[in-house]
Amino acid sequence: MKKPQHEEELARQAKELFDDSVERLDAATLSRLNRSRHEALAELERTKPVGQWARWMPATGVAAAAVIAVVVWQGVATEGPLPATNTVTDFEILLGEDSLEMLEDLEFYSWIDPADQETNGNVG
Amino acid sequence: MSACAGVFAVSFSREQPKGATTLQRERQLNQFLAGVERRALRFAEIAVRDRDEALDLVQDAMIKLARNYAEQPEDEWTPLFYRILQNGIRDWYRRQAVRNRVMVWFGRGAKADDDYDPVAQAPDPAGRSPDDLAQTAEAMEQLESVVGKLPARQREAFMLRTFEGLDVAGTAVAMGCSQGSVKTHYSRAVHSLRDALGEHWQ
Repeated sequence: MKKPQHEEELARQAKELFDDSVERLDAATLSRLNRSRHEALAELERTKPVGQWARWMPATGVAAAAVIAVVVWQGVATEGPLPATNTVTDFEILLGEDSLEMLEDLEFYSWIDPADQETNGNVG
Repeated sequence: MSACAGVFAVSFSREQPKGATTLQRERQLNQFLAGVERRALRFAEIAVRDRDEALDLVQDAMIKLARNYAEQPEDEWTPLFYRILQNGIRDWYRRQAVRNRVMVWFGRGAKADDDYDPVAQAPDPAGRSPDDLAQTAEAMEQLESVVGKLPARQREAFMLRTFEGLDVAGTAVAMGCSQGSVKTHYSRAVHSLRDALGEHWQ
């Protein structure tokens, strides 16, 4: 029973002395501690965690690139060359004398095109 | 396109409180470090017997805590901080041992620490007489000397439990060992101190 009391007393005295020495630190030392603390807080600023979306940004970029690659590849695979006759017909229309008149009456032709399709549909 | 913009808008709006949280964390860390820095310095100083080295060790511990453990719960900071500091002190001892071996090899002994002044000559905040101050300083010097001569693990257990007031569990985290080991080291440290410090400490 005596031993724990003695141990407690020794610890108490030691702590008092330690606390006293902490209180008596000089101004220069306190200043250095202050600077050290601010350097540590600056480190916190440097290693600030990235946002949730920024964390996923690399993965999102890779996924987007993969999607674009697949779309481009599919497009190349399915489109193929246009029939030559269609190209020739388009050039004939553009180079023909009626083309300028056609441009002037653009509203009329845009109206007549669906009308033609309806007529053809009824016939077909 | 609008869906994509919506996703970014939601992400951005979620980031706003995070900035406030980071600021709050920074304030908490500042408060924690301000509260612990003086004691940590004396803690390291008693261990390495050199104030400049102790200041460097404390600064390293602060930076490592901020860099690696700032996101940890605040109540875990104290044992984590002292664990980092302890590791720094152990590394310092290893470096000193290597340096001393090299010095001995080249015919120079280790630097004596007889001229070491553990307590800076600052005005006493409690307004005690010079005699009282001298007596206290002498007792502290004696304590530091004896604590400094303890085996490393005993010294760590004693200082963390007595000076820092950590409980057994916190001390175990700080020392990186079991709670049973902490109790053993602490008990042995107290016995050694009692023997070394003599009757006037009883």
